[in-house]
Amino acid sequence: MDIKDIKAIIDLMRKNSVSEFELEKQDFKIRLKRGTNGGGTPTSLEEMPVVGYQQSVLLSGGALSAQPPQLVINEVDIKSPMIGTFYRAPSPESGSYVEVGTEVTPDTVVCIIEAMKVMNEIKAEAKGVITQVMVENAKPVEFGQPLFKIRPN
Amino acid sequence: MSVDAQILHALRTSNSGSISGADLSQKLGISRAAIWSRIEELRELGYDIEASPHQGYRLLSAPDVLHADDLGWRLEENQKIGRDIRVFEQTTSTNDVIEKLARDGVKEGAVVFAEAQTAGRGRLGRTWMSPARKGLWFSVLLRPSLTPQAATQLTVASAAALRNAIESHTGLKAEIKWPNDILISGKKVAGILTELSAELDRIKYILVGVGVDVNLNPSDFPPELRTQATSLKIELGKPIVRVELAAAILRELDREYARILAGEFSAVADEWEKHCTTIGQRLVIHLGDRRICGRAESLGEDGALLLRTDHGHLERIVAGDVRIEK
Repeated sequence: MDIKDIKAIIDLMRKNSVSEFELEKQDFKIRLKRGTNGGGTPTSLEEMPVVGYQQSVLLSGGALSAQPPQLVINEVDIKSPMIGTFYRAPSPESGSYVEVGTEVTPDTVVCIIEAMKVMNEIKAEAKGVITQVMVENAKPVEFGQPLFKIRPN
Repeated sequence: MSVDAQILHALRTSNSGSISGADLSQKLGISRAAIWSRIEELRELGYDIEASPHQGYRLLSAPDVLHADDLGWRLEENQKIGRDIRVFEQTTSTNDVIEKLARDGVKEGAVVFAEAQTAGRGRLGRTWMSPARKGLWFSVLLRPSLTPQAATQLTVASAAALRNAIESHTGLKAEIKWPNDILISGKKVAGILTELSAELDRIKYILVGVGVDVNLNPSDFPPELRTQATSLKIELGKPIVRVELAAAILRELDREYARILAGEFSAVADEWEKHCTTIGQRLVIHLGDRRICGRAESLGEDGALLLRTDHGHLERIVAGDVRIEK
């Protein structure tokens, strides 16, 4: 499910005056809630990690107001799938795979995690811009630890 | 088994050492002319096959070339690793080739050999010297249903398998340097580089790249490597038929891989640990800019190295350059 699908659901909810919507399948869960008074409290939407990253989206704006709800997309984390050592470059002599500001596609390699000579090339798994590098080169990382933040586009 | 492999097999296993064209033709169900043309092709590859009017064909010598069929028939009937073998004369790195196969959806167990690699690689961009026909340079494609976390089990399994095969095939005492280098008399003779493609909870594929220095001469190594690296030929004092060693390694890899899939990791790890001579040694480990000195105390359950640092605390090592202080 991507932002387009979510927007479509929100539009349907507004058209049909549905105030709550929840969908759960496998390791994916989404819950949408509309304020009942115009401009009510911001509602939140959560997405569980699907394939190596987590996305959170904030909705603001009431559904009964004339304005369509605005989507403020937060950043996405790229997480480590294993315990190991984090490397930002393919070799000590070469430049980093990505820097803050680098445009990435889902297939862009962003780093390597090494554990017992298993080299795991981590891909961005999302399209966007790197906004933060969260671990220093050659430092240990834990399972599920966020490595980078991406602003999807 | 291909026609080539059947002919070679028949030549090797005939009691008198030779076999007539008529017998071969009957055995394989193809014409004598077809047999003749295959024999000619085998000769082109360097197989020295004598033909005499009375006795028939006799295999005088086999070249030290890797031939997929000649390798394949030496494996167990039902083994997974090696059911699809491809041999290249030269490639950049066998891991590059097998990665393409993996992306194309080729089944696990495929093995790619190269007689020579122009860009054989080690850890973190280092080169792996792979001169033509002197070693075994190959990569294995695996698709285990394990979590990415468990991929390190394959480091343990492949090191144990490679060590077993080398020791039993050559009779040389082989040891493991943590986590997966194979040493003979303290010098490196083989290495493994595993590359993983995974999602957060699932392995897509694993490429196990293996390099064995088989028939290299001392002059094949650059001077700075001669104190640290060796070949089986140097240690044994005579060359080794690579295809036989290759078959022995693939059989062992298959056996250890099957044990991992059957959930018998701890048994594999025990075997690995028994031959891991890094324990008890003083080590210097380089990890990025960090230098850690200490004594290898033991191995963790998952195979991590537990190092008692000079500052007295126990550090869990999963990566880095490990140097043994002599």
